[in-house]
Amino acid sequence: MTAAQIRFTSLLRRECSRFMKIKRQTVGAPLLETFLYISVFGAALGSRISTLHGYDYVVFVVPGLIMMAWAINAFSNNASSILQQKFQRAIDDQLSSPASPLELLLAFSLGGFLRGGLIATLTFGAASLLVDLPVDHPLVLVTALFLVGFFFSQLGVLIGVRAEQFDDVSFAQTFVLQPLIFLGGVFYSSSLLPQPYETLTHLNPVYYMINLVRYGFLGYTEASVALSLSLLALAVGALFAVNLRLFRTGYKLRS
Amino acid sequence: MAFEPQHRPATPPAQGSDAAALQITGLVKEYPTGTRALQGVDLRIADGQFFGLLGPNGAGKSTLIHCTTGLATPTSGSIAVFGHDAVANYGQARAAVGLAPQDLNLDHFLTLEETLDFHGGYFGMRKKDRRERAAELLEAFSLTAKRHDRTRTLSGGMKRRLILARALMHRPRFLILDEPTAGVDVELRLELWHYVQRINAEGTTILLTTHYLEEAEQLCSRIAFINHGQIVAEGTSAELAATYEVETLEDAYLELVGRKELSRGMVSEVSS
Repeated sequence: MTAAQIRFTSLLRRECSRFMKIKRQTVGAPLLETFLYISVFGAALGSRISTLHGYDYVVFVVPGLIMMAWAINAFSNNASSILQQKFQRAIDDQLSSPASPLELLLAFSLGGFLRGGLIATLTFGAASLLVDLPVDHPLVLVTALFLVGFFFSQLGVLIGVRAEQFDDVSFAQTFVLQPLIFLGGVFYSSSLLPQPYETLTHLNPVYYMINLVRYGFLGYTEASVALSLSLLALAVGALFAVNLRLFRTGYKLRS
Repeated sequence: MAFEPQHRPATPPAQGSDAAALQITGLVKEYPTGTRALQGVDLRIADGQFFGLLGPNGAGKSTLIHCTTGLATPTSGSIAVFGHDAVANYGQARAAVGLAPQDLNLDHFLTLEETLDFHGGYFGMRKKDRRERAAELLEAFSLTAKRHDRTRTLSGGMKRRLILARALMHRPRFLILDEPTAGVDVELRLELWHYVQRINAEGTTILLTTHYLEEAEQLCSRIAFINHGQIVAEGTSAELAATYEVETLEDAYLELVGRKELSRGMVSEVSS
């Protein structure tokens, strides 16, 4: 391994070690939360709804829950990790090392990406035991989940870097992220909504992410797959470029 | 502390350099708030020197250190560590520097062993080397029994020792100690003195900031006074006293900060 590879893997190991040390909170709790959703919306409420666009209600909901698990955990991991380290000034150890801004950004991003991916995978594995969950378009599914995971990882980094107190992270998650995800159609199809709510839902970027993941699993979508994938890739690229600039200039990291 | 450090240069000097450990020229640092913390600092620390930087709170000591280590971005001027530009060629420059900061900035999630292991990794050390070096340093700083404990469980003195061990982990040629003995007991202070004197004798250049003048006098071969973001005097302890036409380094310092009425000589006169 080169020195740069050792640096990068050390930075990434530190990020993974952080969330694995508090796995009851960072892995256990989100898994339980997802299963509560499956229980409430699948078993309890789902028994009252026969099918949605030809799919059992619980099967229709699970793809969105998997995406939601990846998104929220990727975001909250990175935002919290960076803010915590900024508070303790422990981040100075990384910042004063020879690590480049790109190495630092990738390591911070991948920490949350991997945590989200782990929870999404565990959710998928367990859901597969409970319901018959098809995977119609694996390539689209993997691409979409990776892009969604990376998008929210980047968003977590952005909020973590900008945040000055834990309230800033909590605000972004509770008042922006969760409403966008919940109103993006995790638990329903936008076609069931009356106007203007259906149109408003189409203005929510998360709606297209959920559609992509749902298409990957079920083969059902309400939006253009190619266009959604392209726009998502563009958004990921733009967010990454913004974050890289913040790391290069040292915005709220270096004085 | 029974540690015998092995000094292997992490970064060779840049070709054609005069091998100064630190060469600062016209360094200015202005914060976004408009505060000008450094106002054209010129400073040279020769390879192997034990250099003291003294000044009152807010004089610019920590800002100077932060600019050198990449924790602050200079507004203008240049900084070279062993000839490597600390901004343009930060990788080489930072690899040569070990920083023991004033704050106890340890990661509370990590154990002592992990703290050293990750730090070594950030500086590109291989696994085997990291493991051996961490074991050496934990032993040297009497922290071996605590190696699997999380850092938040340590006492203040142990945290201070771990921070010094972390700074030394990648075998830096240039060690920066920012008030390393602030708030530590006499025993640990003396242990640290002996330790840093030894590694200096073995070739490591040291920059020390401290508010304890006797510490600077005891350890440093050369001292600079910094005030209002400028180096206002530099020399040996005796030279500084002569510059201010006083007897001791302490009196020279009091002249610098404009508090000569606090001089022990004056206090003795008043009480007698």
